[in-house]
Amino acid sequence: MATVQVSEAEKVYILHGIRDDLRVDGRGCEDYRHMEIETDVVSNTDGSAKVTLGHTAVLVGVKAEIGKPRPMLPDEGYLEFFVDCSANATPEFEGRGGEELGTELSNTLYKVFNNKNSVNLKSLCILKGEHCWVLYVDVLLLQCDGNLYDAISIAIKAALFNTKIPKVHISSDDEGSKEIELSDDPYDCMRLNVENVPCIVTLCKVGHRHVVDASLQEKACSVASLLIAVTQKGTVTCLRKVGGGSLDPESVFEMTETGKRVGKALHAPLMNLLQQEEKLGKTRQKVGFLG
Amino acid sequence: MLKSKTFVKKTRSGGVVKIVREHYLRDDIWCGSEICSECKPETTALQRDARIESSLCTYPHYLIPDTNVVLHQQIDVLEDPIIRNVIILQTVLQEVRHRSAPIYKRVKDMLHEKDKHFYTFTNEHHETFIEREPGESANDRNDRAIRVAAKWYSEHLKTFKSISDGLEVVLLTNDQGNKQKAKEIGLQVFKDEYIKSLIANPELLDRLALTNDEKNEISRKVLFPEHLPLSKIQVGIKAGTFLQGTYRASRDNYLEGTVFVHGEGEESTEVLIQGLTNLNRAVHQDVVAVQLLPQDKWVAPSSIVLQDEGTAKDDAGDEEDEDKKPTGKVVGIIKRSWRPFCGMLNVSQIKESTRHLFTPADRRIPRIRIETRQASTLAGQRIMVAIDGWPKDSRYPNGHFVRSLGGAGEKETEEEVLLLEHDVPHQAFSQSVLSFLPKMPWSITPEDVAKREDLRHLTVCSVDPPGCTDIDDALHCRELENGNLEVGVHIADVSHFIRPGNALDQEAANRGTTVYLCGKRIDMVPELLSSNLCSLRSNVELAFSCIWEMNHNAEIVKTRFTKSIINSKASLTYAEAQMRIDDTTMNDDITKSLRGLNKLAKILKRQRIENALTLSSLEVRFHIDSETHDPIDLQTKELETNSMVEEFMLLANISVAQKIYDEFPECALLRKHPAPPPSNYDILIKAARSNQNVEIHTDSAKALADSLDVARVDNFPYFNTLLRILATRCMMQAVYFCSGMDSDFHHYGLASPIYTHFTSPIRYSDIIVHRLLAVAIGADSTYSDLMDKHKQSALCNNLNYRHKMAQYAQRASVAFHTQLFFKSRGVLNEEGFVLFVRKNAIIVLIPKFGLEGTVFFENKDKTGPNLVYDEEGPTLTVLQRTFHIFDKVKVTISLDASNIQHQKIRMALLEPMIPGVSVPAEDLEPLSKKSKIDR
Repeated sequence: MATVQVSEAEKVYILHGIRDDLRVDGRGCEDYRHMEIETDVVSNTDGSAKVTLGHTAVLVGVKAEIGKPRPMLPDEGYLEFFVDCSANATPEFEGRGGEELGTELSNTLYKVFNNKNSVNLKSLCILKGEHCWVLYVDVLLLQCDGNLYDAISIAIKAALFNTKIPKVHISSDDEGSKEIELSDDPYDCMRLNVENVPCIVTLCKVGHRHVVDASLQEKACSVASLLIAVTQKGTVTCLRKVGGGSLDPESVFEMTETGKRVGKALHAPLMNLLQQEEKLGKTRQKVGFLG
Repeated sequence: MLKSKTFVKKTRSGGVVKIVREHYLRDDIWCGSEICSECKPETTALQRDARIESSLCTYPHYLIPDTNVVLHQQIDVLEDPIIRNVIILQTVLQEVRHRSAPIYKRVKDMLHEKDKHFYTFTNEHHETFIEREPGESANDRNDRAIRVAAKWYSEHLKTFKSISDGLEVVLLTNDQGNKQKAKEIGLQVFKDEYIKSLIANPELLDRLALTNDEKNEISRKVLFPEHLPLSKIQVGIKAGTFLQGTYRASRDNYLEGTVFVHGEGEESTEVLIQGLTNLNRAVHQDVVAVQLLPQDKWVAPSSIVLQDEGTAKDDAGDEEDEDKKPTGKVVGIIKRSWRPFCGMLNVSQIKESTRHLFTPADRRIPRIRIETRQASTLAGQRIMVAIDGWPKDSRYPNGHFVRSLGGAGEKETEEEVLLLEHDVPHQAFSQSVLSFLPKMPWSITPEDVAKREDLRHLTVCSVDPPGCTDIDDALHCRELENGNLEVGVHIADVSHFIRPGNALDQEAANRGTTVYLCGKRIDMVPELLSSNLCSLRSNVELAFSCIWEMNHNAEIVKTRFTKSIINSKASLTYAEAQMRIDDTTMNDDITKSLRGLNKLAKILKRQRIENALTLSSLEVRFHIDSETHDPIDLQTKELETNSMVEEFMLLANISVAQKIYDEFPECALLRKHPAPPPSNYDILIKAARSNQNVEIHTDSAKALADSLDVARVDNFPYFNTLLRILATRCMMQAVYFCSGMDSDFHHYGLASPIYTHFTSPIRYSDIIVHRLLAVAIGADSTYSDLMDKHKQSALCNNLNYRHKMAQYAQRASVAFHTQLFFKSRGVLNEEGFVLFVRKNAIIVLIPKFGLEGTVFFENKDKTGPNLVYDEEGPTLTVLQRTFHIFDKVKVTISLDASNIQHQKIRMALLEPMIPGVSVPAEDLEPLSKKSKIDR
């Protein structure tokens, strides 16, 4: 990932600032950077969203395809994740540089989102044991400026909210062979319930305190960070430590508490915003990438 | 402005994909009206003074039909010349194209016709484009798009009120809901009443398709089971419970038909369908889905003749235990193949009634109920009717009047009927086809001269029947310095003018061949080509030449092919050529050339006959002179020169076939004539044996030819000819095929291992062969379709079909002229020979007229005389008098005009005299049939 060189003096400066709840860019420890969300940005996906967080920019597209359910879970659909670390985002991704990060990210996303507590996977079932919807979630990193996980998770939630899956009907005949029939009305589609879809809050341990939405410099000062997936209600669905350093249980507990608080505070305006945008319907001015 | 169209689609593998298409709106789409000063189109289609005399709309107006109006047969009304100034919206056009290709083509034709003042308004790319709303069906959206466009027009035209003279747009629909909505936004909108309001042209009303929505026959008995929806049919076919096939109605029994099911590989079966309910509204040639009945309900095809008289009950004919066939019922229609049908009106018994039944000329087509107010005028005329639909509570399909062809029995009308019923394309060539003709005056360019071999110095001449205008072959013969002879066959180079893929080529490919009727020719290519540019008259022309070097024993030393320029020195008739050859005083180049040719041709012919069989002499042709209606027997007038030309044409065809096959083993277009299965000869062997005790050997073509040659009986000179006629009937059809798709190339009739058609470029097959040969000698470039054996094979199928239909049309034409002849002659008594013996009749050939007819011994009114049929003979014994094949009889011939639609030649027995039989019977079956082998 993008690395920044920080000198000892800078480090001390940052550490001391954070200790006093005053970060280099003026934020408090639990403040996010400026965030922009736009949904329905890629017309040939079934749902899409673009999120910018500071200078971090990610684009998420969701494509729904008909597939076969997993044998162990015949009445559930599933999600697949792919993270594309574009070389546009940062020069380190050139060649195969982004692959490792991409795999790591998609594994984490898979753990966080692909379970029935986050997404109602049963609603993706078309015909038990035969057909289900598979949601391919493609994440494209456009620019890296720290805190990828949070930005990606918000974008995924927004994209899933935006996803419109065409309604299908199963017709069966006397022989029992079943056929999938598609509605002729493009507006006739199914929406996902995103109520329980979590957002990831990454907390960076810097000195004795921790910050959300760490900038690259702050990240450089941190030994370890904790990913906390929090739902709207404040339930923690996934917890993961990243980074080389260690965390003592006490601070893990503290960080979890902070994560719950920040996560809850993040969900409410996010849902609000998504619903508002949806209401605008066709009158909404699309901003796209150049706006 | 960019919009996008989004829709979801199911893929073949069962997946679902979302498709997004960009869609741009333009600001340069004009309204097309003359009065508009705002739009800037290059030409305007819609007139300033757009008047159609209507009592509903007294102001000038433009019509905007919606999709259903165009689609559901009202197209026949729109096609009428009085309907002008119509705006066809793109929405409508697209929907029509999607739903019915033939109607789309007709709409396109109308749009191209300048006098109709039709205009396409591309509303989908105009500001009137609308997007589909949530909850709106595709049809509703299209209807709304039509209304929005109509509204725009009416507003747009209003801005020119000062000069427009009250010009309005009128929306035509046949949907009540649509009408209501259009009214709400202030549009002029009409349904059928608009057509009714066209005071000046009441006959248009008849062309309105019958719609069932507002008919008052709600509680009528349901006669037929419901057709299954297509999705269910497809599932059923996949599962094997239903079979898909083409329905063929029986000619003789309207309650019976068969469905020809294409099985996998070679397996094809026929399923018998009997009874009105089981037929379930299938019409001849429809593609249907059938369900087999349980085996205990299988029946044998009934052998009785049942014609629909309207009263018969739905019975399944007599049932015999033997010969049961798979029997089924039609459960659904996969594809209708309805076309306008020729026929005549049965005027209703009830006076003033507007509903009448229409009887098609083709007996396999059911009668059609139509509504017309001009029944009295149409009675006695041949008319065309299109089927609109067949509701399940109706005994007959509903249809509407399309056009009148003219009085029944008139020559032009009957010819038209004949062409229509045999599916012979005979319309005038369209502008786009004519545009590919070379510009006149045409002359040979220096490039042509450079590319072609100059053979103008050779003494080339053509020999043809008298009165021939399309001279497409010419010959030459000269002595070479080494003592050998050089013989050339020069064929008009049509492929030089018809370039692959253009409209002219496509039209020719569709027509397939030139059709000759009595006194009429239906051209495959415009006359400029067939009779002018590609006619090798006595001047300089482009040709494709096949040149052999032969020794004096007519053995080929060398063969070569070349595109050439020739200068025909003389156009001779057969008789003229014969005279030159015979006249020893003439010694000019032409005559010498002819003598050389004749000498070689004789050798060639002898070799051919010696080596194998020639069936060419079996071809007994009778022609009726179109002017005097006198029959001409060509057989007696055959000259040496006839066979001279023929011999070299055969040789050229064989040489070319070999060449193109060597060059393109996968995609050469060849012609084969399969050997008939031995059982075909049974009748011939039996007849010869039982009648004159003559043995016919049919083990090989050679054996057959030899035994036919020796089969002569004293005091019965006609016996041999009769045998040959009969042998001809045993033959198979010769067909075109693609060499890559078949392994059997043999031409049985000509006894040639390989054969094709090269010598008559008025057939499309020859054009393809010309192209192949041109590629083979490097004179022309190839193109992909030429080398695609599947496309080639599909083309062959069309050519074979056209060829067959052309033959049928020809026979029908001869039959019609025969009728004309007998009409003028009245009743005649003639001698004839029994050609076939049937269970209840004998078929008699009258050599004098080349006419064949049936003498019936059974009669449906009275019980017939005691008939004993012996299959071994076959003989038929009528009251102790036994008829064999080839027996001499005397019959009386007259024209039976009781059924004007099916006039026929009636034959009745005069000699031998059998009491109670040799009286003219009623309702005889037709008629003369001529058959010949088409080489």
